Amino acid sequence: MEIRITTKHILWVLYILAWIIFIGLSIEAGGILFNSFYTMFIKPMGAQFFWNKMDLSGLYAADKVYFIIVTVLMSIVAILKAILFYIIIRAIHHRKLDFTQPFNKALPRFISSLAWLAIGIGLFSSWGTNQSKILLAKGISIPDIQKMGFGGADVWFFMGVILIVIAQICKRGVEIQTENDLTI
Amino acid sequence: MAIIVNLDVMMAKRKMSLNELSEKVGITLSNLSILKTGKAKAIRFSTLEAICKILDCQPADILEFKPDVK
Repeated sequence: MEIRITTKHILWVLYILAWIIFIGLSIEAGGILFNSFYTMFIKPMGAQFFWNKMDLSGLYAADKVYFIIVTVLMSIVAILKAILFYIIIRAIHHRKLDFTQPFNKALPRFISSLAWLAIGIGLFSSWGTNQSKILLAKGISIPDIQKMGFGGADVWFFMGVILIVIAQICKRGVEIQTENDLTI
Repeated sequence: MAIIVNLDVMMAKRKMSLNELSEKVGITLSNLSILKTGKAKAIRFSTLEAICKILDCQPADILEFKPDVK
């Protein structure tokens, strides 16, 4: 018996994967926010056992402002990543990606939102990386950039730029499709 | 748009309904309605030819150019 993999199957797999990643990222964002709040207002010891086994006690002891900056950046990056996957889930769930007529108005809007989110993640990741470098230069011990979620800023930027270009092409595609639909 | 479609005028002159014209020309009622209301972006020569043949008229009887007033 021949097994045929259709677009519907691929979308179904993507939908499940996006849900898993979204849940993971939401837990990560929540964990970072909770740990930051816990360290700041309840027990400063929390910095030692931060989210993902990170030790931010050195940073917390050095300066609370730096600690807040780093945790806020980590939270923003994690939240933006979660939003990115939420948008993908929403698009698949509400069947906004119509493959029988792909060039509809929802497509460039969907790609544009992904592009701007990717650029946003890139921007905050880059900021976080630079902040970490500054802190390291000051002799403050901080965890690895990858562990803090700031890795791959350039890749996010690259992805964002590519998606913006694709969104512009899709926009033109929608215009051509509309023109074609209104040609009698 | 500067191009005005006078299809309704010609249809009234020939006493032809939209349904009848759509059947005779062989295009859908919704497409003919888009053309009649001036929402169409373009018209194929084949469609224009078919309409002119059925309504026994010239393309100029259906299409008219009126510059936009700014």
